[in-house]
Amino acid sequence: MRIEGLYLKDFRNYETLELVSDKNITFLIGDNAQGKTNILESIFLLATGRSHRTNNDQELISWGKSFFTVKAKFFRMGSEHTLEIRYAEQPKKKVILLDGIENKLREILGQITTVFFSPEDLWLVKGMPALRRRFLDLEISQINPAYYRYLQQYARIISQRNNTLRLIREKRENESMLDIWDIQLVDIGEKIINKRMDAIKKLSMLARLMHRKITDGKEELSIQYKSQSEYLKNPGQVKEIMAQNLKNNRQQDIARANTSVGPHRDDLLLNVNGYDLRVFGSQGQQRTGVLALKLAELEYMKSETGEYPLLLLDDVLSELDGERRRYLVETIKDRVQTFITTTGTDKLDVPFEKIDVVYVKNGHIRRE
Amino acid sequence: MYFPQPLAKLIEQLRRLPGVGPKSAQRLAFHLLHLPPEEALKLADAIVEARSKLSYCANCFNLTENELCDYCASEYRDSSVICVVQEPRDIAAIEKTREFKGLYHVLQGALSPMEGIGPDQIRIQELLKRLAAHEVTELILATSPNVEGEATAMYIARLVKPLGVKVTRIAHGMPVGGDLEYVDEVTLIKALENRREM
Repeated sequence: MRIEGLYLKDFRNYETLELVSDKNITFLIGDNAQGKTNILESIFLLATGRSHRTNNDQELISWGKSFFTVKAKFFRMGSEHTLEIRYAEQPKKKVILLDGIENKLREILGQITTVFFSPEDLWLVKGMPALRRRFLDLEISQINPAYYRYLQQYARIISQRNNTLRLIREKRENESMLDIWDIQLVDIGEKIINKRMDAIKKLSMLARLMHRKITDGKEELSIQYKSQSEYLKNPGQVKEIMAQNLKNNRQQDIARANTSVGPHRDDLLLNVNGYDLRVFGSQGQQRTGVLALKLAELEYMKSETGEYPLLLLDDVLSELDGERRRYLVETIKDRVQTFITTTGTDKLDVPFEKIDVVYVKNGHIRRE
Repeated sequence: MYFPQPLAKLIEQLRRLPGVGPKSAQRLAFHLLHLPPEEALKLADAIVEARSKLSYCANCFNLTENELCDYCASEYRDSSVICVVQEPRDIAAIEKTREFKGLYHVLQGALSPMEGIGPDQIRIQELLKRLAAHEVTELILATSPNVEGEATAMYIARLVKPLGVKVTRIAHGMPVGGDLEYVDEVTLIKALENRREM
């Protein structure tokens, strides 16, 4: 897919912005705090309905203004569309327009697909499980809108169940009241786990290929779904296993007023040559792992949607060494529309006529 | 402030209504002021009358101006079938179909521990009393198809099944007369899961 034009009004530090490009790679060059990342953020917002760095949409409005508009003209499977998000703070209102017609967020997810890669993603390997779950959830939500709704329902069930646990602990509710939430937890939980396992199976295969190429075949990456419950060994019995574990952990859950079983506790396990990358990988190996994962994400989305997503690279070039950088360029050039932010001159090894070089300064752009 | 006190008070009260923001409240208030006095009084009377005359049906907890609601008092309704709904407005939705001839039971809510709503906060005990006192052959659970509505339906089903009453849940599925491609994914998946053999 391609974005032909991006238009911002009163978004972050842009009073207005019109970024039109027919090149595959757009370089956004500028010093820190000039608004490079804000451009990537606006594209990410159109793809997912939310910012990658804040949950508070008000922060996205320019200082002293009361609403913002983000709009893109894009091509998906050969046909042209527009997607627009308007947000006002008083009264709080978010309007999403696809081809000029008002739509719900869940209806527009997957219209614009993106892979976002920022220095924080380097934490994907060594950080908390929540980061890896978020990575996976965002990924699947973009290609499977139903998944997004299951996540919402699931969060609601967990919250109702945890409240019930607390009431039981305080002897204000009967233990049998858990059943009605457990049945639904297992039901929706199974759908989430199956989708995740399916996505990981494909991602793992793609990431292994990428990783093999980056490391000249010296290292073998594998990704697995990790859970206290042994779903993987018995893929047909996810429900039964989850129900049994919920039952086994019930007393502990009541004591902690917290649910210990379910996809909200699961994780991704990355192994290189059979070792846990998180624990035993060097910093270089972890970076290679993340790069392989991100490139696998591109291929995965292509296989699921028929088109490459947009790649948004936020200041990551400086984090990769020459070898990895070359591999990245090799993979994306001519195929994946990419927006790259960078402070310096660490240019990609691509002929200049193929790159759109845009200088960003204090909420304005110019070309040379 | 900008408005004389009685007007400000009217705007303030209108603002408290659901779905009414500051601007709509102002527009409604000025609209009321422009009405002929008797029209405005009709509205005020309607509000007073509804509030003072309506109460809950002693049997099913629907809204009524009598001891029993029209359905519970009617001799033409089949008292052996009870349809359980969350709110009085749900009855209106089912009545529009003209297909259901049984009685109702209004729970006045759904289970939601997050909001402090347990079985004792909704009319479940009253439902059990009805089942004990009258001959009921089928209980239809028509609570909302969301997490709380499902939990409430499951809870009631578990209580009632041992009493030997047939318990059914309304089906989830496709809207009739619509095109398949416009149905949202989750509804479509539900409809696929609950498909039937032809």
